[in-house]
Parts: sequence; C-alpha cells; structure tokens
Amino acid sequence: MTSMLSEGTKTRTSKQLAEEIERLGANVSASSNADNTVISASALSLYSSDILRLMAEITLFPTFPESELKLYKQNTIENLKFQRSQPGFLAEEQTARLLYGSHPYSITSPKPADVEKITRQELIQFHEKMFVPENAIFIVVGDANRESILKEIEENFGHWTQGSFEEMYFPMPPARTETTVTIVDRPGSAQSNIVLSNPALERTNPDYFPLLVMNQILGAGASSRLFMNLREEKGYTYGAYSSLDARRLAGAFEATSEVRTPVTGDSLKEFFYELNRIRDEKVSEGELKDAKNFLSGVFPIRVETQEGLTNLIVSQQLYNLPADYLQTYRHKINEITIEDVERAAKKYITPEKLAIVVVGDAEEVLPQVNSYSDKIEVFDTEGNPVDIVNYGKESNEETADVTGKWNLIIDFQGQKLPVTLILEQKANKISGSLESMLGRGEITDGKVKGNKFFGTAQIEAQGQSLEVLLQGDLPNENEVNGTLSAQMDGMPDLPFTGKKVS
Amino acid sequence: MSDKFRLPSLKIEQYTLDNGLRVVLNPDTSVPVVSIAVYYDVGSRNEREGRTGFAHLFEHMMFQGSDNVKKTEHFQYVMKAGGTMNGTTSSERTNYYETLPANQLPLGLWLESDRMRSLAVTEENLDNQRNAVQEEKRLRYDNQPYGQVFDLLIEMVFKNFANAHSVIGSMEDLDASTVEDIKEFFRTYYAPNNAVLVISGAFEPQEAKKLVEKYFASIPAQPKPSEINVEEPPEISNTYQKYEDKLAPFPAFLIGWKIPPRRTPEYNALYLAGKLLYDGESSRLYQKLVKGDESVVQLFGFTDERRGPSGVAIGAIPKPEQDLSKIREAIMNEIRDLAKNGPTAEEMQKLQNQLINGTVRISFGRSQRPERFNRFDFGDDLDA
Repeated sequence: MTSMLSEGTKTRTSKQLAEEIERLGANVSASSNADNTVISASALSLYSSDILRLMAEITLFPTFPESELKLYKQNTIENLKFQRSQPGFLAEEQTARLLYGSHPYSITSPKPADVEKITRQELIQFHEKMFVPENAIFIVVGDANRESILKEIEENFGHWTQGSFEEMYFPMPPARTETTVTIVDRPGSAQSNIVLSNPALERTNPDYFPLLVMNQILGAGASSRLFMNLREEKGYTYGAYSSLDARRLAGAFEATSEVRTPVTGDSLKEFFYELNRIRDEKVSEGELKDAKNFLSGVFPIRVETQEGLTNLIVSQQLYNLPADYLQTYRHKINEITIEDVERAAKKYITPEKLAIVVVGDAEEVLPQVNSYSDKIEVFDTEGNPVDIVNYGKESNEETADVTGKWNLIIDFQGQKLPVTLILEQKANKISGSLESMLGRGEITDGKVKGNKFFGTAQIEAQGQSLEVLLQGDLPNENEVNGTLSAQMDGMPDLPFTGKKVS
Repeated sequence: MSDKFRLPSLKIEQYTLDNGLRVVLNPDTSVPVVSIAVYYDVGSRNEREGRTGFAHLFEHMMFQGSDNVKKTEHFQYVMKAGGTMNGTTSSERTNYYETLPANQLPLGLWLESDRMRSLAVTEENLDNQRNAVQEEKRLRYDNQPYGQVFDLLIEMVFKNFANAHSVIGSMEDLDASTVEDIKEFFRTYYAPNNAVLVISGAFEPQEAKKLVEKYFASIPAQPKPSEINVEEPPEISNTYQKYEDKLAPFPAFLIGWKIPPRRTPEYNALYLAGKLLYDGESSRLYQKLVKGDESVVQLFGFTDERRGPSGVAIGAIPKPEQDLSKIREAIMNEIRDLAKNGPTAEEMQKLQNQLINGTVRISFGRSQRPERFNRFDFGDDLDA
C-alpha cells in the first residue's frame, strides 16, 4: 500500500504528482519497515505550503488506480527476482525466518504469489483502517514559523476523521533451544555471507543501553573487536560487525561478515571466540570508556542534519520512548558499568542457541561448518529446502588427474586451429595456461569434478582482452574433448578434441 | 519562483603554506561539530599498467600506522573522541576525512599530519590490507549481480589506459604490488604540495591557522609529480559487447558515452540533460519506458565526472521477453527529441529548484560539506 500512495489521488495522476513534486525540487517518500510507515517530505521553506498540500493529498486521498496497481505488481515481481540474486537479501530472509517463526517480523519480502493476489479493494480497506489520525504522528523540523505551520497543518489535516484503530496481537517468536546451521546454496559465489543471530530485546527494554555499549565494544564499528580480529588481524573480510535490531515487540542480536569461501569455517571459529570472550571475560576499563565516548560523542553528529534529527524524533515517538529521550541519551550511556556490559553479554548473546546462516557455495561451505551443529539444513536461492545428501558426492567419486601438457584442435567454423593447454592440478583446483596463435591466457580458478574440468581464461588477443570459458571431459586419462566459449556477442561455442603430450 | 530564493553566503578563506599545502577554511558554528578533509591529487588515473587498484590499496595503507599512530590506532583515536572517519578513492583523487566534536580539531589535524609526514609500511600490513581489498572487490563486484558491468563499460567508453581501468583493479595486479611500490607512491603523491586541506564547522579561524601551521608546516614539499596524459581519441563508431553474468537473474543493458571534461559548458549541459532524461519519476525516460511503454522494470543513469574526458551512462533492466533493440531505440529517440527541441519551461524550473535544494541540503551536514569544496580541489586555481 505504501508504495502505491503516490500513484494517483482524487485530483492528480501518478505523473502529475511526480511532476509537481519534482518541479519544486522537493522529495516526498513513503516507506514501511517492520513496525512503522513513514511518509516524509522535504523542500525549500519557500515551498512548504505546496509540499504540505501534496503530502496531505498522498496521505489522505490515494485512489490506488487499477492500471497503476497492475504495473506495480508486474514490476515488483521482477524486483523480487532481482532480490533473490543478492546474497545479503538471502541471508536476512533466512535469519528472519529462524528468529521470528510465525510472527510477521519473519517476513522480509512478499512472495510473488502474494503480490499477484493483492486487489485494489484490499488496499482501500487497509488504508482506511490503518491511516487514521489516532494512529499517526506529525513531525516538522526546519525553517518554519510555529503559528503559520500549525495553521497549515490544521487546514490540510484537520478534517481527517478518526477511525476505529485497534492494537494488533501477533504470535510469539519461537524460543530457540540449540544452535542450528542454515546454508543457502548459491553456486559460484565468490564469498560466504555469514549471519549469526539470536533473539535479544525489544526497543523499550531497559537493558537496551547496556547492550548498546556491549555491542559497541564487540562489533559495531571499525575499532570494535570483530573488525580488529577478522579484518585487521586475519584479513578474512572487508568488514565484520555486530548489530542490535531492537523493534517494538521483539528484537535480535546479529553478527555478520562476508568472507572468502575457503575461510568460512575459520571465520566461524573467530566469531565464536569473540562471542564467548565478551561473555566470559570482563571488558577492560579502556574499552568501556572508548565505547561510551564514541556513543555519546557521535550523538551530536547524528543530529546535525534535519534528517538525522527527524529520524531520532520519529523513533522516540513511535517506540513510545520517554519524552526526554534525546536529552538523557548521553547520560544513560555514561552510567553503564563493566558489570552492566557483562550482564548484557551473558543474557543476550547465546552461543549455544545461535541461528547460523551462510549464503554461499554449499559444496564448499558444508564441510567447513558441519562441526557447528547437528542440525544443518540447506535451501536453494528460491527458498526451497534441498536434501543435504545432494552435496559432497563428488568427493566419493574418483577425481581425474589433468596435470600436464595437452595439444588441442579447435574447430573454428570448419577451420582446425591448434591450441596448447598446460594444466596443473592441486586437489580439485586447477591453474595453467592456454596458448594459441591468437594469444595467450592464464587459467586461474579452474576446478576438476570427477572426470570433468572447468576454468576461465583471460586471453589477450589482438589488443583485446577476452574471457573464455573452458570445459573439458576426459573419456580416459590421455584424451580430452570439450568446448571453449568466448564471453562475446555472436561468438559460437567452439568444440575441441585433444591429447595429452607430456 | 526560484529567483526569490537567496542562498546564505558561505564564509570561506583560502591560503597556501610555504610547503605548498593548500588550506580552505569554512567556519560555521551552527552545530558543535567540525569536519576535516584532506584531498590528495592522486587517483586510479595515475596508476601504471600492471598496478591497477593501487591508489585504492594505498588508501587502505593510510590507516595502517605512521610514526606516532600505530596500526588500528587511527580508527581508535577518532572513535574514542566520538567521531567518524573514512577515505575514498576515485579516478581523480583520494580523500580522507574525520567528523569530530568541535573541541577535537587538534586531534584530527594531528592524525592527518602524522600520516602525511611519516607513513609506516610493513610487509605484514600490506598483506593484511591486500586481503581486505580483495574481499572488498569480491563483496562489491565479483559476488553481486551486475557487479562487473560498470567497470566493463568504462573499459569500452575510454581508450586511454589512464581512464579505462577500474578503481578497484584486478586481483593479479593487487597481488603483484610490493612494499617498495607503496613507499614510492607515498613519496610521489602524498606530499603537502599535492594536497588540499579543508576544515569546515565550528572553529575559530585564527586558532585553526595556528594548528595547521604547527602540524603541517614542517612537512617537506616534494618534486611535483609529472602530469599524466588523459587525452582520448575521438570516438569513431559504436561498439557493442555482450557479457554473461552468472549471478544476474535477467538481462540488463547499459549504454555509455564519452563526454567533455567537467566544468565545461558542454559537460554542465549534459549533466542537466541527463537529469531530465533519467533522474526521478517525472523524468522523460521513466515516464516513457517504465510508465508509458511498461517495458522496463528499472531505469537509471549517471554522469562520471572527471577532470579529463568524462562519461555519461543510461541503463535499464527490461521486463522479460522485451525487445532490447526497441528499448534502445526509444532511449535514443528521447535523446534526439531533447537535443532537437530543448527542455520545456517546466523542466528548466524543475532543474533550478533541484539545484538550489541540493545545495541547501548538502550544507546541513558538516560531514558532507568538505565534499562540496571539491571545487577547490585539483586542476583548479585556488584563487579562482
């Protein structure tokens, strides 16, 4: 519903709205997260009356035109496919499912079939039920005269009639009893996206501040322990962090990193080391002081922009935080002690009940993670479960040895071209080179599976760099046949046959 | 309408130290926060063949310690002062910045001066940061759908190596870089006479000048790095390349053009024409392709602003089963129409308001403001 608000109102079409808003040089946006929907507008103060009028129109009188809804559904379904190609999305999807079960917080994105089903009537009803003044808060920040802006808000929103808004009740998130491992198989991944999570606390919980300081020491920034260990010490990743996701009704603690595939298991080991260390050992005076200094010092930097200040006021209002929340924030940070941090770590980090999610190449990842849980499940990128026995088969199969020099004959549109292939194999990894009269290419990331091998070569030919995919099949140890496919338009796959010469 | 709006003028003072360091001061006491930025006149355009990705790898090394700031301490000093920091590398320049509570100006200046004066480089730190950068490349490019196409486009649009290679570089070149390369790069490019220091926010100018003098004046100047040639041959034909992205869920396409350097009337006009074509839901191409023809799911465009020949690109993710050549033709027709008939009065008004709004909004945040002073960075006379 939120995305459809600006797609047509009683007096303006989608195009008219877009043109009028952008002609003012203004921005209007509507977005929803797990707890709230926020409609926001920003413009030069010169245009505040115009933008307020447009904002009221979008909020109060959207019509959800049938044709716009149809287009929105089509595009959303395509965008959902795009999301599924992003490893970060897949990791968050599984994490939310594991943490929140049948609570609506478990849904990070709708399914295409759910989008198909949405009707205009449902949007109208939902808008009528939820968009009522007793369920809304209006915030103005900036160069505005108090009296005149209040008068204009009254003019634009004063006639908004009350509805019958009721608080909704949801199923409880499930209690976790053990550590589980969930792998999303994304073949060909260059990295593993790792998320370790467990349930933590809701936004209004008094433990929020001790946990915030604990999180700062453990993993919130570039001088926190996780970053220092996994990046600055080990070089496994570009970044390793932890975070709190404290929502209105529940929340979670998460630790995340994107690491190169071969160090997935080593990275988990370091994560567990740091999670246990902050539970089992008291943090130092210095670490506590640095964390507190950062959190209270960075606060004015966060409120220096209008957006930053507005966002803080929005959270204070929507999460029912105390009225003096902004004023007392720094004080609350400063009174945290080492014991508070220890207590928060022990209570809200539970290494024996973690949900471990890894998005990556399951074939490579599985052997590295199977010691972390007896409960391992695998999903494909569509979110369907995959039977774990489908993996690890190749290791039982005999792997061919392709090391040596091979003379290949390529069939190039009827012409026979000679090519020399030199391969070196270590376990199931191959490297080497491909040489022809057209140029030479290095093979860097090849693999052998059974009696097949694959690799890519970057060939410098006639001043151009060309990526070539090499696939070979060994009917016996001295013969090969396969194809070369250039990643270039209009270039057909080139079949070859060849023999081992040394 | 927009001519009624007067932007508040900015207080700006510029001067140059004897060692050639250009200094820009912008006092503004509205929030008790100060930002410091140092711009070095070096980017991927300065890299030689076989060392792609080096300027960016070097940016990482600037956080690995100097005479008085040990490895990882730079992050720690800034964060324990309640500040934020980072560095960025583009084809044109490398910058480093800190945003701090106003009373921490001396800390920020000391940190920047210590690494300008005395970067410490070890084999171990280089290996570690090479790993971090290679993971950054995997994270941002190699493991993302469509992650490689922008760099591919740059290679097609530009013919001169200085322009045509990516900022992130190749894995092989990153592997090949040595401690000696780092030291030489530092000597050549990280000299005060090759840098601009910007201070913006709540500070007393006289006090700031004393601090700048104290921390930076004794850093020796170095011979000026030789000019690099970024000239491009004129484009004589269309080139077309198909790239198979195994991580992408459906086809997308990208069209790029080489355009004149930034701050030329031609570049400015093309930047604004681009906004009318692809920026926002009222833009011509969004209305034509996403709304009118309903042939495209996502539409985007951007200009690649450089001191030398620059670039502009338009891209689309079409709906499945759409004829790509028809979409391309529709894009070209909109461009021809804009070229032939020019923008409408409403479109000109939109551009004016958007530019004023953008300027006002960027001035809110001290942390973004140094970026705004990039008109003082390189290739431009400070007194201009």
